[in-house]
Parts: sequence; C-alpha cells; structure tokens
Amino acid sequence: MRVSFRTRLLVVSGLMVGAVLSAVLWLGWSRVLAFEVERLELRLCMEARRLATRPFQGEELTRLEADMVNKLHLSSPEQLTMRFESGVNGSHFQSRNWTAALALSGSQWQDVKSSNAVQEANVRPDGPPPRPGEVMGQPMGGPPPEAGTCALASFSTNDLSGRQWRAARFTVPTGRAVVAADLAATVSELQGAFAQALKLVIPLALILTVLGAWLLSAFTMRPVNRLRDAMKNVTPKALDQRLSSAGEDREFKVLIDAYNTMLARLESSFQQASRFSADAAHELKTPLTILQGRLEQALRQSVQPQVQAELTDLLDEVARLSMITRKLLLLSQADAGRLALHVVPVDMSAMLDELATDAQMLLTGQTLSCAIEPHLLVQGDAVLLRQLFNNLVSNAVRYCLPGAWIKIRAQALATGIEIVFSNAAHTTALVERGRFFDRFYRGDVAHNRHIDGSGLGLSLAREIAHAHGGELVLAATALDVVALRLTLPRRRSAVVDPAD
Amino acid sequence: MKVLLVEDEQKIADFVCSGLAARGLTVTHCDNGHAGLVQACQDNFDVVVLDIMLPGRDGLSVLKAMRSAGVATPVILLTARNELGDRLEGLNLGADDYLAKPFFVEELVARIQALMRRLAGDRQNTLQVGHLTLDRISRQASCSGQTIELTTREFSLLEYLMRSAGQVFTRSQILEHVWGYDFDPSTNVVDVCIKRIRCKMAPLLALGEMASGIESVRGTGYRFRQPVGVTLAPVVSSSHGAP
Repeated sequence: MRVSFRTRLLVVSGLMVGAVLSAVLWLGWSRVLAFEVERLELRLCMEARRLATRPFQGEELTRLEADMVNKLHLSSPEQLTMRFESGVNGSHFQSRNWTAALALSGSQWQDVKSSNAVQEANVRPDGPPPRPGEVMGQPMGGPPPEAGTCALASFSTNDLSGRQWRAARFTVPTGRAVVAADLAATVSELQGAFAQALKLVIPLALILTVLGAWLLSAFTMRPVNRLRDAMKNVTPKALDQRLSSAGEDREFKVLIDAYNTMLARLESSFQQASRFSADAAHELKTPLTILQGRLEQALRQSVQPQVQAELTDLLDEVARLSMITRKLLLLSQADAGRLALHVVPVDMSAMLDELATDAQMLLTGQTLSCAIEPHLLVQGDAVLLRQLFNNLVSNAVRYCLPGAWIKIRAQALATGIEIVFSNAAHTTALVERGRFFDRFYRGDVAHNRHIDGSGLGLSLAREIAHAHGGELVLAATALDVVALRLTLPRRRSAVVDPAD
Repeated sequence: MKVLLVEDEQKIADFVCSGLAARGLTVTHCDNGHAGLVQACQDNFDVVVLDIMLPGRDGLSVLKAMRSAGVATPVILLTARNELGDRLEGLNLGADDYLAKPFFVEELVARIQALMRRLAGDRQNTLQVGHLTLDRISRQASCSGQTIELTTREFSLLEYLMRSAGQVFTRSQILEHVWGYDFDPSTNVVDVCIKRIRCKMAPLLALGEMASGIESVRGTGYRFRQPVGVTLAPVVSSSHGAP
C-alpha cells in the first residue's frame, strides 16, 4: 500500500530535522571535547611546573600524586604518570607506573608559545599574571622563581589497552618534569555530563521535531484540503460553482484557475448535452401527438379490418416511441437537476399491492410472492414513484425465467423504507451486472429472447430514487438472481428541488 | 356540450376538433392565447381545453387571467413542456385536469366527461348498458340480481368500455386510461385483464341473460357490444382569432 503524501511529508521533515540535530550534537561534542582537552593540557603544564620547580621526596611524592589525581579529575593514580629529571645533579625520580614509552623523543613535543592559556597556566594558582619566559618569584609560596617552557605531547601506550595520553613537559634550567594523564578520564567525565544533558535534550528535540513536522505537513496540506472540500461540492447539479483563488498562494492559484477552466468547459458541455436531450424530447412531442391523433382518427373512420389492424400496430409503435421520449425527457431533467417533485404523502404499500396485482396478470407460469408491510408512508412524488415501481416490476417480469419466481418485499427501516424486487434470472456475469443501470443497456438475454423494453427503465428508476433522497442498487446475490434494493427516506431531505 | 380548444398547432387542432365533434361535442378553436382568453371570457363554455405552449400568451397565463376575471369554466391543460412542472403550476392556478402530449382524443373525451360529471355533482352511482349494471361504490357488476366483485383495474376497464358502448378501443387507449401513461409492461396486460373480466362474468353469460359483453375486434382492440344503436351528430364550429 502506498503511504499517504502527508505521512511521507512527515517522515521526510522528521528525518531532515533529525539529521540537522545530529550534526549539531556531533559538532558540539567535538568542540567541547577539544576545549576540555586543552584545559587538561594547561593543567598538566601547571602540574609539571610544580614538579619541576620544587624537589619532592618519598612521602611527599605520594601526596603530590594524590593531589594531582584529585585536581585533574582522574579516577585513579593509574591514570597519572610523571617523572622529574634534575639538570643540576642528574638525579631523577618517577612515579611507579612510569613507562619507558613516555620517554618521548624531542620531535613529538610541541612547545607552548605565549598564549593566554599558558599565561593563565603560569599564573594559577599563585598571584598576578607574569609573562611567559619571565623570571618568576620565590620558589616557596610565591610565583616560580625561574623561567620555564612548557611542551605538550599526545601519545598512546603500546600495550593492548591502547590508552590515549596527554603529556606536558616543563623545562627549567634546574631540571625537567613530565606529567601525563590518561584521556579516558576526561572523556568519560564529559560523556557523563553529555549523557545527562542528552537525556533531557533528545526527548525534547524528538517532540519538537514531530510537532514541527506535523505542523509543517498540516500547513502544506491546508490549501490542498481546501481545494478538495470545494471540489467535493461540485456535482452535476452544481456545476456552476467556481473556486475562489483569492488569498491563495501563487502555486495554488494556478491550480485553482486550471481547475475552474476545466469546470467551465465541463459545465458548458454538460448543459448542452442536457438541453439537447430536453429540447429533442420536447420537439418530438408535437409530431408524436399529430401522428397518434391522426392514426386514432384514421382508425375510427376506417371500416376495413385489415387496415384497422395495421393502424393499431402503428399506434402501438407510436405509444412505444412516446414512452421512450417521455423517459428521455425525465432523464435529461434529472441530469440537469431539474426533476420537479410534487411532494405528497404516498402510501407505498397500497401502490405496491396494486402493482403486484398488475404484475400477477402478466406472469406466464412464474410465481409472485409479496411480503409488503402495510401503511408504509413516504413523502414523495406519487407519479414518479409509480413510474419507478413500474420500471422495477416490468424489469422483474421481463427477465424472470419461465416457471421461476419473483419476490417483492417491502419493510420499514429506522430511517425510511426498503423495498426489494428480486427474481430468478439467467446467470449474468458480474461485468454485465455492472452495466444494468447504463442507459439503453439491454442484456444479451433481452436481445436473444426478443424482450421489448427501452433499456431506460432502471436508469430512470435510479434517478427518481436519487431525487427522493433514496438509493437504488443491485444487491449482491447469486449470479442467477437479480435483486434490486430500493431505499427511500421517510422524509425527503437535503435534496435540491428547484421547483419549490 | 360546448368546448373551447386553444391550440396553436393546426394539425393537432384538426384532429381534436373532428374527434370531439364525432363524439357529439361542439368545439370552438382558437390558435393563440389572446383570442382564447377573449373567447373564454365572452362565451359560456362547458369546458376549456388549453395548450400550455402558445404563441403570444401561454396557457398558464391565460388560465391565470381567466380565473382573476372570475371565469370559473373548468379547464383541462395539454402539456408538452416540462410535464410535471407545468402540471403542478397549472393545478395550483386552478386547472381541473391535465393531459400530457401525446394523448388520445378518446382519453380527452373521457376526461371531459368525467369532469362534467364531477362538476355537475353527478351522484349517479350506477352505469347501465343493456342488462349489465356497474355499481361505482361497491365496484360490482350485476346482471339480473347476480353480482360479481371486480378489482379496481377490472372495474375501471369495464366502465371505460361501457361508457362508450359500441365504440372500439385499442389496447393502447385502454392501457393509457386504466393504467396511466407511465405503465410500462406491454399491452398484454389489457388482454389478461379482459380475460379475467370475461371469466368472472361467465356465470352471468351462462344464464343467457347477457345481451351485451366485451367483444374482441380482431387486430384492433375491444368494444362493449351496444344493445341499441345510437348515432351522434357531429357539430363543429371554428373561430380562428387574430394573433
């Protein structure tokens, strides 16, 4: 099944917003990470300076290590390593986990030139900002007495864990200190903070994305929906309606204009067609009246039986022609929405009983059974309803198989009445059944068995049902049964009646 | 009985005039609405047969003017245009009956007669031809004290034939009168109905007291056998008003 346009619009806009959001998050993460790493490096520089400018021994070293772990936000001493080499006496000391891998060659070290960050590192935590390379104050308590340079390096250990390290080397004339920290601690700390933030941001972003996408799709669909609603109101009876393009966007204006043009063409051709059949039917009536009147006159005046029989045959044909003309006129009126109804209370039960009696007279061996509830009243046009029933009854009588059955059932429903005419007939294919209501359609059976009829009856019956706000349908039955179900509302409503 | 026919189509007017005259009615013909209105207001007619589509002044407007001029002559409308719409408007304007084109002159005669009876307050509930009597209230046919029940259709058919006893009616004419013009099923229904009436009357015929009954006229239709010959002198007068 094809996904609806709106759903697709929703998905596409959702995906796009999602992609933008992920890009922003990724960028943010990398920027924050870079910033944090820079901060870590500065601290490492600071710690290296501390180590370089003051000798530490034994216990002191352990305390220093613990202090550094704390200051650098590391989770264990394992993540920290350091070494001091004295430039004066060649003595050195190092932490327990110092590895030779950290004895990095000179090329990997990058000197930190004068930058704000280094200044900051040089200053903190002790007093006013000195310039890098400047001789600093006292070794104890005050600013460092000696000028030093800080170099940074990034490396990973060779063991399997492949941990990422950041190292700072502070060089003073009296010695050189190296402090390195595992990056994992910083990353995991940052990840924790990020995860916490994302817990709030992601659902909010999701909600906003869906809401935004939904609003966007709704906004896009609005003119289309408006157009659809307006188009729905256009029926053969209201073809003169035009859609207003005022206030619409340019794209939709073009669409509405194109639609209006199409509607105008449709209206004009529809009107022509319906006026043509109305005019044709009317123009036929005068010659038909003359023909019928003259034949009647001739019949009355003639004395020869042979001529009389001939004239009678002609009269029958004229009557047939009149009937077709009358039906065509009614159909063209219905098409133009001008089927005038003279609405009165009609006793359907009485009308059906009468018709059943007529039908009974026409049967040749078939059985007719009726189940007609008494006093079924509807508001309708008695003449047209009689025409409707005539058409249905004659249809049933014509197409019923010899010796088979015809049933007429009428009952009250909650909203109106239901009348079903059914009869056993030749098996008709579904395709042929679909054409039952087509004008001038007569089944093959009718042609083969020389059943007379105009092929307009059912089409007209349906139009009359529609004019009464009802419906006439071919019920779904076995293929050798034809059941026409008519439903009529008790009260005629919501039907345009120009005659009123 | 004097009839005013207002009809612009000369050919239609011709056969209607001759048909009505043949049934003993005096017909005056006008071919436009203005002349028709003047005639209707001047002379005393028993009935006006008014076509709706007329040059100059249409039938509905003539009817309206007649009624507002205080002319109460019964009117039968002939409609060809939008049948139902005109019928409604016509009946609202005070027409007494209507007939859709094409129509049988026989049917027009029957309508005129029915209208006359209705307006004359004809309370005669029985129709007798020969020994056969029809009771309009009980819908029974009786002959020498023996009665037969008839259905609405059977009664209507028998009455139609008996009213113009001796005259031949075609199946189409009978169909139109008894079943109405919108009845579809073939004219067979007339034959079947006549057969039923004959069956019902068979016991009466067996008594040999029936001097009259329904006769089939081969290839044409049916007639009710007339016990006594009656001839009607046709009277036609025509006046064509200036348009």
